[in-house]
Amino acid sequence: MTLIDTADQRDLASSVKRFVSGQAPMSAVRETIKSDAAYDPQVWRRLAQELGLAGLAIPEQYGGAGASWSDLVVALRELGAGLVPSPLLATSVLATGTLLALDDEEARAAWLPRFAEGTAVGALAVSEGTGREWALADSAVTVSDGAVTGTKTAVLNADDADVLLVTTSAGIVLVERDAPGLTITPVDALDLTRGIATVTFDGTPGRVLAGDAAAALESVIDLANLALAAEQAAATKACLDMTTEYAKIRYSFGQPIGIYQGVKHPLANIYTDWALTDAAVRKASESLAEGSETASLDAAVARHLASSGYIEAAKQTMLLHGGIGFTWEHDAHLYYRNAITGNVLLGGPTAQQDRIAATLGV
Amino acid sequence: MSTDEFRAKALAWLQQNAKPFDDNEPSSGGATIEESKAFQKGLWEAGLAGITWPKEYGGQGLGTAEQLAFNEVAANFRMPVGPFVIGLGMPAPVLLEFGTEAQKKRHIEPMLKGDEIWSQLFSEPSGGSDVASLQTSATKVEDGWLINGQKVWTSGAQFSDFGAVLVRTDPTRPKHQGITMFIVDLHHPGVTVRPLVVATGDAPFNEVFFDDVHVPDDAVIGEVNNGWSVAVAMLRYERVTIGTGVRARANPLGYDALVELVRARGLDGDASVRRTLAQVYAKESAMRSYSAVLHQEAKAGVPIGARGSAAKLAGATFPLWVSDLVQDIFGEELALQNADTLPLTRSILAAPGGATAGGSNEIQRNIIAERVLGLPKDAGVDKNIPFNQLKLSK
Repeated sequence: MTLIDTADQRDLASSVKRFVSGQAPMSAVRETIKSDAAYDPQVWRRLAQELGLAGLAIPEQYGGAGASWSDLVVALRELGAGLVPSPLLATSVLATGTLLALDDEEARAAWLPRFAEGTAVGALAVSEGTGREWALADSAVTVSDGAVTGTKTAVLNADDADVLLVTTSAGIVLVERDAPGLTITPVDALDLTRGIATVTFDGTPGRVLAGDAAAALESVIDLANLALAAEQAAATKACLDMTTEYAKIRYSFGQPIGIYQGVKHPLANIYTDWALTDAAVRKASESLAEGSETASLDAAVARHLASSGYIEAAKQTMLLHGGIGFTWEHDAHLYYRNAITGNVLLGGPTAQQDRIAATLGV
Repeated sequence: MSTDEFRAKALAWLQQNAKPFDDNEPSSGGATIEESKAFQKGLWEAGLAGITWPKEYGGQGLGTAEQLAFNEVAANFRMPVGPFVIGLGMPAPVLLEFGTEAQKKRHIEPMLKGDEIWSQLFSEPSGGSDVASLQTSATKVEDGWLINGQKVWTSGAQFSDFGAVLVRTDPTRPKHQGITMFIVDLHHPGVTVRPLVVATGDAPFNEVFFDDVHVPDDAVIGEVNNGWSVAVAMLRYERVTIGTGVRARANPLGYDALVELVRARGLDGDASVRRTLAQVYAKESAMRSYSAVLHQEAKAGVPIGARGSAAKLAGATFPLWVSDLVQDIFGEELALQNADTLPLTRSILAAPGGATAGGSNEIQRNIIAERVLGLPKDAGVDKNIPFNQLKLSK
């Protein structure tokens, strides 16, 4: 199992990194935050089309590049490091992963090509509140005569979506944006870099998709864990780098604060935890790409470590920056908000630990 | 031979010659030195020792893939190679890097074959983490050097043939600049080895005393007064050995052993116990992945460098962290057991030792901060002062 980037992956990482620093730096992210939009459509168009990220992991027969999930993970890492708002996770991981894992050719043929060219956004409406983030058989959202009724919470990029994939007690249902009885209410959420909405269905027409919904959702959980872990590990490194640079130029008592062990040691701890997490993400990425039987386990391990490590790194970033790190103008709180959100969305800490234990058979 | 064929060969040999782990057996294993030597010789004869080392010195000349394949297979067997871990992990690679051709020809193959056991002698009672403040001295005499002083925390000295010994050869220079590393015959009559009993009640280390021990000039590793850079290299190898070595299944604070004990005690139905086990598994699995990443990067030409300190720090903090967690899992039982009745107890008591051996956690954090993250180094008040003018612990 290769745990280091291939030459192609290194090229991809550096072109996404270049794009982020040139076209979507933190100053641009802040402009997006100030606007009403969840992301900058120009940035998304270029990510999707010029860099080809939207269709990277979509098979060639549906207009994608047919690359592996581990390639998309490389891109997610770079975007996660810069907190770049985009519907990539919602569309190209969650919605795409769901359609690929189900067995509904009509839905695939209709939507995957549009996802791949970046002209449609997809969203996975799955959560029904804490502890019910992956509701399916136990879903309170029902389908009767092709009409969906119920409420979904914390739906990523729902407000921008052209199509929603909705988990219900009758399976996974495809609902189009203009369907009657569909209400999407954006949430003024903790994380300023993610678009999150509550979605209600009131007799909304939808089509139950063919395929084994439970099995499909299991593989989407793995993908979600891997994708979030990749973003989080990279954001952790961004926090570490930011704080390390600051410790070199901020002077106290006549010396750069980075000379003091009280600053050095927490940074060394974050580095060590990040190094282990980064390795776990790489392992999970390869496991999923290879279809290894430990894929679920490895993805949950990566997510568990990445979520908790990122919280610690973001918190220490605020603390080690001192007063400036507590101001609105400083980026530290943007990372801290993103860290907390990523820790609890799509299955929180105990859910990950339970998933690890369950896959280990303990 | 492909990596898979190599793995199959290693597995076949181990099945013939080593016992698989049986957790009912005490973990000390109980092999004698002679049994260990015979095992190591067999390992070498089968082409399974010195896997990545040059052929001209007795190695196999193979790659990291074969080494990783061997580590993976070997983790399932009880291998009585304890006496060789230090010699092959630290002095041997340092000899390969700094030794003279004669030293390499003389020592590497005997070490791989188990004919020579080596120790590393750096630490002294007065120095602790500040290894470079060492006071054991070597005085120049006509046909070599005379060594006097004391070392401590020496693993395996009681059965070692040679030691890589760090001593002060010029006390008028600043402390890092007057140190030399010597190869010392530990069977010399002036060498006295005394066991050192530690917190577990065991004596895994020794104190070693040198009383007019004569060594020849060609016993110097590297150059006279340049021993500190050789020592730094050896400490780097040590961190890699401790942090990324073959991870035995039998570690009582590791996931596999814990899950068996949890099941034996009927605690596996408890959700919080299962979550704790999940956390332990996650960290252990990530340490394995990190070790694999470092090996793969090294193979691809990215040196491990000071990142070995991160592996060492992770490896040392893990058992301390699990020591806290198991108190919640097993509760009162831990108070009613001891190091002999429950191996877990011995491991809990031993964990602080791992966080000081080979450079304390604080030293590793300094190394990571300064050499990986590039944070400024503390100037060090003793850096440019002649050693014989420094204040020292007694």
